[in-house]
Amino acid sequence: MAMRKFRDPSRRAMLRDSAVGFGHLALCGMLSRAAADDAAAAAGPLRFLAAKQPHFLPRARRVIFLFMKGGPSHIDTFEFKPRLQRDDGKPLPFAKPRVQFAPTNNLLRSPWKFRQYGNSGSWVSELFPHLAKHVDDLCMLHGVHGTNAAHGGALLKLHTGSDNFVRPSMGAWVSYGLGTENENLPAFVTICPTLAHGGVKNWGSAFLPAWCQGTPLGVASQPASSATVKYATNQRFPLRLQRLQLDLLREVNEQHLQETGPNAILESRIALFELAFRMQSEIPQIQDISDESDTVRRQYGLDEKITADFGLQCLLARRFAERGVRFIQVTHSDSKVQWDQHSDLKQGHEKNALEVDKPIAGLLADLKARGLLEDTLVLWGGEFGRTPTAQGSNGRDHNPYGFTMWMAGAGVKPGFHYGATDEYGFFARDDKLHIHDVHATLLHLLGIDHEKLTYRYAGRDFRLTDVAGTVARDILS
Amino acid sequence: MHRRLLKTTGLIVLFLTSIYADAQTPDVNRDTSLRFFENRIRPQLAENCYECHGSERQESGLRLDTYAGILEGGDTGKAVVPGEPDESLLLVALSYENEELEMPPDGRLSDRVIEDMRQWIELGAPHPDQGRPVAEASPDEPSEALQWSFVQPRPGPLPTVQRLDWSQSPLDHFVLSRLEKRELVPMPPADRRTLIRRVTFDLIGLPPTPDEVRNFVAATAPDAFARQSDRLLASPRYGERWGRYWLDVARYADSNGLDENLAYGNAWRYRDYVIGAWNADKPFDRFVTEQLAGDLLSEGSEAERREHLVATGFLALGPKVLAEVDAKKMEMDIIDEQVDTLGRALLGLTVGCARCHDHKFDPLTNADYYGLAGIFKSTRTMENFIKLARWHENSIATAAQQQRQATHHEAVESTKAAIKDLMAAAEESTKQQRDEPRSENAQTQSADETQRSLKQLQSKLAELEKHPPQMPTAMGVQEGKVSDLKIHIRGSHLRLGSTVPRRFPAFLAGMSQAAFGPSQSGRLQLAHWLTDSSNPLTGRVIVNRVWRWHFGRGLVGTPDNFGRLGELPTHPQLLDWMTVRFVEDGWSIKSLHRMILSSSTYQLSSRANPQAARVDPENRLLWRATVRRLEAEAIRDSLLFASGELNLAMGGSLLHVKNRQFLFDHTSKDGTTYDSRCRSVYLPVIRNHLFDVFQLFDYADASVTNGNRTTSTVAPQALFMLNGDLVRDAMKALATRALREGGTQPRDQVAFLYMATLARLPRPTEIEQALAFVENFRLVAAASRSGPAEPAAGWEALCQVLLASNEFIHIR
Repeated sequence: MAMRKFRDPSRRAMLRDSAVGFGHLALCGMLSRAAADDAAAAAGPLRFLAAKQPHFLPRARRVIFLFMKGGPSHIDTFEFKPRLQRDDGKPLPFAKPRVQFAPTNNLLRSPWKFRQYGNSGSWVSELFPHLAKHVDDLCMLHGVHGTNAAHGGALLKLHTGSDNFVRPSMGAWVSYGLGTENENLPAFVTICPTLAHGGVKNWGSAFLPAWCQGTPLGVASQPASSATVKYATNQRFPLRLQRLQLDLLREVNEQHLQETGPNAILESRIALFELAFRMQSEIPQIQDISDESDTVRRQYGLDEKITADFGLQCLLARRFAERGVRFIQVTHSDSKVQWDQHSDLKQGHEKNALEVDKPIAGLLADLKARGLLEDTLVLWGGEFGRTPTAQGSNGRDHNPYGFTMWMAGAGVKPGFHYGATDEYGFFARDDKLHIHDVHATLLHLLGIDHEKLTYRYAGRDFRLTDVAGTVARDILS
Repeated sequence: MHRRLLKTTGLIVLFLTSIYADAQTPDVNRDTSLRFFENRIRPQLAENCYECHGSERQESGLRLDTYAGILEGGDTGKAVVPGEPDESLLLVALSYENEELEMPPDGRLSDRVIEDMRQWIELGAPHPDQGRPVAEASPDEPSEALQWSFVQPRPGPLPTVQRLDWSQSPLDHFVLSRLEKRELVPMPPADRRTLIRRVTFDLIGLPPTPDEVRNFVAATAPDAFARQSDRLLASPRYGERWGRYWLDVARYADSNGLDENLAYGNAWRYRDYVIGAWNADKPFDRFVTEQLAGDLLSEGSEAERREHLVATGFLALGPKVLAEVDAKKMEMDIIDEQVDTLGRALLGLTVGCARCHDHKFDPLTNADYYGLAGIFKSTRTMENFIKLARWHENSIATAAQQQRQATHHEAVESTKAAIKDLMAAAEESTKQQRDEPRSENAQTQSADETQRSLKQLQSKLAELEKHPPQMPTAMGVQEGKVSDLKIHIRGSHLRLGSTVPRRFPAFLAGMSQAAFGPSQSGRLQLAHWLTDSSNPLTGRVIVNRVWRWHFGRGLVGTPDNFGRLGELPTHPQLLDWMTVRFVEDGWSIKSLHRMILSSSTYQLSSRANPQAARVDPENRLLWRATVRRLEAEAIRDSLLFASGELNLAMGGSLLHVKNRQFLFDHTSKDGTTYDSRCRSVYLPVIRNHLFDVFQLFDYADASVTNGNRTTSTVAPQALFMLNGDLVRDAMKALATRALREGGTQPRDQVAFLYMATLARLPRPTEIEQALAFVENFRLVAAASRSGPAEPAAGWEALCQVLLASNEFIHIR
């Protein structure tokens, strides 16, 4: 659809032929996006991929989203609740939500000790000893809410803004809005994503142009070291022979074009083969980490079994970020129940935290050292938090009513805490951030007005934030 | 054109500046200012005001959902004085400056919204109903009476044309007359090789065989093309191609998708039903009726009645949130999905938009929505709504199968009874033994015998229970507990309004509709109403779909939306004329095909004409044929066809997962396989995990009705052509075929390859080019250590180039 839009000759012709109108509109200073689109359309068959101007000066140029599948417990990690510790075993003194995934009993204290860290004095539990050293870089969002009580609905809501309609994912929206900074790579890469609970919908483009969809590197059930982009390598012919094929293909296609006459689609398809040929060599280069020092490898925990897999995912995220990919998602999903501790909270969360703590701390340190944290937004979180009330003696239920996500890097206040749940951690209470608000804020940091990033489909203008979303201005640095 | 530009920017300030900037195009100004109203003003009014000042309630005598109401105002005065913001009470209330009048009561709206309102009033309060008689704005008489698609189609006379020798079919008159008005000349007809390739792909989704090409090129009969069309329409391959189009509309899939991905293990029966219906040219009105209410049709043979049950799969196989914890929400979401699909698929209306409020652009009210939703609330689609919820399936067992089932049941019961009797007898004899002891020997003997019989019976029972006769079921619906629905305020099942009787949308069916019987959901009546010749939408929508699938663009460019936000038809009289003919012809799709195929319009060449391209670059007026890329299925089928690997077996399920089992659970392990060589239409459609080759080439994602697939051109498609396993297998097999069947001379082998892939012979220069490539490839491969050594490798590489070429995957 966008191909049609961008390559619509009448549109191009109109702009070419109506320089006055174009100039006038451009003077209004409001046409930056359309102007970029059309400059792009005029410039060549593949220019639609090109980096586009945001609505206003962006703070972040790219996003790394560290997704913790299953729902990490906010009250056992980043939101300390003294009352919960005190009232262990007592009934919740107020009503539970109308809709619950499963019944829960009385309050359950956190099995982990909390301590204050950094100049910000942020509370972090002993689950995250490495990350705790970076609290002064984190912007904690404690009042997030509004996903869904079940995994499927919650993943879809978190990733696409809708739990019952098929909508483009946030990475696809970002790609659509900003294009890619490296035309040899997709704008949106998702590393080892889960195929469950919405699966591909969580990185899909829905009705947005197909090039906006996330390109998966492997899936959650395989080790990151064996993850590949599908069809990116040739099993049969080495590059040198493939080059001969491409040369013949170009000749054959150009002869065909002589017959059909000018045709934008046919022309861009000719160019795409060259792009694909370049992608074939670019992606393996990113995955080849032999040029990384031992220090860096240790920083990400590549030298230890428990952290090696997620560490590699984080390191790849940094390598994609460096090369101009806009939106990189890293999924922590150990291919079983991940962070979903209805029981075995103690063992489960300890294992999960151990797997991700050091790699994430390493990623933050590395991004900072390379100056990338200045224009990269890191977002961390799961599809919901967990209830302060117990399931069994060592478990917690899903809690989409109040939980913690955090941001770090470009444009957000470091060492800052925004919002809170009630004294037990059940419901978001202060400075609540609906998931639509998180999306609005994320787009804002990228220089996009979430109300203006729209796409017309089936007779309606659609947005990531539907008809809602408020930017959390208090967290902007 | 301005409109298109503005659409894409979406910047309101731009609308405003352009309103002031250019007085020469008043329509554009009105259009942009109306869009400003629709985008920025109406949603705010709807969100914040309609609840108390809308169609249901008019507090203080004020209603803001009609233009008349806005102008008249309420008890305290005029709400809006166009052009005079300071005199407009609406703005006073919104600004919260007067304590007596602060609206909305829950809190002041943002400065931005208030500023928008001020600008809107300053602009003269543009509104779509401005300038219309006030009476028209009343909701009972739809103000959109003029929306072209809501008026019954009229068979106008054939337009007059200057050029009398061009038209072959009446429809050509309509096309030519539009072209002549713009002083455009249609291109000459396509040559025969192009035409046979075009019509073969078009009707059966496969390339013509070399023999078919040769025969048609050599044919001299004046009706040679009509014969080709008839041959293709009669082929079973036709239903596989055109049934697949309908499956896009029906958002067909073999899995639930959305949240928990369970196998729809019996969905394939609906798919096979659709293919059969298109092959049999089932009248479209009948086809619709069976899909909506097949369970309520009593006529027909036993086999037909089973088929009717299968047809209702249309309503059942949508994506559902099966783990939604809120059961009421789940039920309403499932109903919504049915209403939305019905609306888009058959009426070309986004009925789903009216779930939370009156439709913002079409005259569909919130009440209309719940009138329709009540029909599906009264229909049984689900067995329960507990997570994971179970969908309903109808039994479609034959009499013989039912008999086998009964016999089996009897056998189980009688075996159970025999076991019981034996146990009782054994107990009895033990008791007797206690009372009057017999010899120990006799006792043991009897116990052993009993033991043996018991064992036998038990193993017989186990065997019987292990192999129950297979009783086929099909996803589908039946009548449920009949009840009307209350309006769900803003779409929430937690805030209910007044009850709406089950009925059709009032703006189409009028307000005085006969009530359905107390035990009837109303589905059968719905089907009859949809397929009544007086319904202005159903006929037009399917005729336009068929046109879209033939030409790549509908006469209405938005086949799933005939509402006000849909595009206007490029040839309205043509669409009406064809629709009337279609209904008169008994809703026969194949007759419609023949009408289209026999036209000069269909048979045009696709060659470029710079002059015409300047006037009509998008070819909306149809001065030439449009070059089109093959759809995903046709690409795969053609690859298999060219390599000689395509399996033409029809029907059945290729799903590897049993009904209702997980395709994906937490583990992300991928149980799907697509290694079958059957036609693409038979490959499982797994929501959330479509076959990646299909997804690459713009397959419909099966979540919502899609009668207008996009055609993207993205790099991963090229990667697939370079490195995909399907391409690799095809090029290998094709090279083998060419070397074996293409004669002994390399030149002939090249000719074979061109015929097999492009349905034409190579030009001499192309032969030279191909042979030079094979030779050069051999030399370079020999010089490099990692290259393939076998001599056929160069031929394989050549095959890959032809399969990846633009000519192979485009129809001219």
